[in-house]
Amino acid sequence: MAGVNGDGAAGRDGETPPTAAASVALDGVGKTYSGDGEGGSVGALDDVSFSVADGEFVCLVGPSGCGKTTLFRVVAGLTEATDGRVLLDGTEVTGPTTDMGVVFQEYHLFPWLTVEENVGFGLERSDRSAAEREARVDEMLDLVGLTEFRGAYPKSLSGGMKQRVAIARSLAVDPDLLLMDEPFGAVDAQTREMLQRELLDVWESTGKTVLFVTHDVAEAVTLADRVVVMAADPGRVREVVDVDVERPRDRGDAAFAEYVGRVRELIGAHP
Amino acid sequence: MATETASRVDEDGAFAGVGLGDGRRLLRGAAGVVGFLLVWHAVSLTQDPFVLPSPVAVAGAFAGELASGDMTTALYQSVRHWIPGTVAGTGLGVAAGVAFAWSGLLDDLTAPLVRTLRPVPPLALIGFAIAWFGINDWGAAFIIAVGAFWINFYAAYGAVEGVSEDLLDVGRTLGVRGDLDAVRSIVLPASLPGIMTGIRTGLGRCWMPVVASEIFGVPGVGREIIRASNNLRVDRAIAYILVLSLMYLLVDVAFRAVERRALAWRA
Repeated sequence: MAGVNGDGAAGRDGETPPTAAASVALDGVGKTYSGDGEGGSVGALDDVSFSVADGEFVCLVGPSGCGKTTLFRVVAGLTEATDGRVLLDGTEVTGPTTDMGVVFQEYHLFPWLTVEENVGFGLERSDRSAAEREARVDEMLDLVGLTEFRGAYPKSLSGGMKQRVAIARSLAVDPDLLLMDEPFGAVDAQTREMLQRELLDVWESTGKTVLFVTHDVAEAVTLADRVVVMAADPGRVREVVDVDVERPRDRGDAAFAEYVGRVRELIGAHP
Repeated sequence: MATETASRVDEDGAFAGVGLGDGRRLLRGAAGVVGFLLVWHAVSLTQDPFVLPSPVAVAGAFAGELASGDMTTALYQSVRHWIPGTVAGTGLGVAAGVAFAWSGLLDDLTAPLVRTLRPVPPLALIGFAIAWFGINDWGAAFIIAVGAFWINFYAAYGAVEGVSEDLLDVGRTLGVRGDLDAVRSIVLPASLPGIMTGIRTGLGRCWMPVVASEIFGVPGVGREIIRASNNLRVDRAIAYILVLSLMYLLVDVAFRAVERRALAWRA
């Protein structure tokens, strides 16, 4: 089992005044796995470059095996790239940092902590006072509408509620970037649409930069300012699509359907 | 008789609510014990008391030993090495299990040693116990500690190995830095269920080395069992065996209560 990086660049959220958002730039990011045979391998990446501006909402879509999750882990600093680099506001990402709030598909709440303890987990490691931490937890619980469940353990929550807790937990430390890997992939369709609306509300009210990985094209077109479409074998950027539709977006709208069709075509098309 | 009792409980069940299952189990358990005692008594009538004494004789011996104070003395003597042995073995076992499972370096350094020492039965070390500590509480505690150590070592090791990498990743993105912070805030709580199971298993198994180490002369309940057997006082021997069972039950029930509290978060 691996130890934890003793990473100097991270964990400084308390020292600098909270910034609203940050820009992310991927510069020629590549990932090869040792022992790769011919024809690449699942999750490998080749020369991935794109950037996300301050306060922008970007979705990353692609066929399965295109390395979406690898890319997500590289940006989060959880996996090391073999080529290229990731810049967060111009600073190279060398390991996990509290400047990024990370949300996973499977929630990964700490089951031994209550809802409010989960939300406060990152704050414990900041230099905020107890009163400030408590106020921040209250604010986050209010933001995701879980104030009345603050004392509950994750085991008694539904999938949608768990993901709200995970989002609140990642936002509590006031990261500059929210990084999400198929966060709504494990909940039912109805809950998913509700969570999408809530996420847009949170995004609009906090002004965070969001990089959101999904395999659901309609979800990407619903949420994103821009959609980065990836191709597989090896994973690379195929095209970046600007979604020029007013929010809230209506899935029945002709322009919406057109974007969905175009992105689907890009995913399905072979090079 | 038993089925009649059970069916009556069924009828009451409509009003009894939640407690019904427990109540029925308890009744059936009691019926089982009564049945066992009856069979035991019947068989004992055909045997000499030094082969199989009757339950009544055992109850008499129990009461006698208790009244004379011999039983409480023996129990006190056993507990005097059971507690330090169990506490030391459990503590060291959990600590080593967590440390070796977490640290690749420690694991590599100790793996050959662990594999060599693991198969050694604690009782094989009795010679060392006597040489190093003598025939006393410390020697007995050593044997007990060795037994407790391995049970807890493997339980903790397995539990830590099973800790989700994803939870550690989440922790890192939330500012967990360094091994101590990770172990304290994620590894230990996540592996607590497995560690607790190990502790509980150890608490039960550690009565075995208590008795075994007393064979070599350390005073205690085990010593009394052996002495009574040697004197063909099987009733006394069974009375002391019962004390061990009762101690085990008491500790187990108490620990389960602690476990339920500590793991209330578990699904």
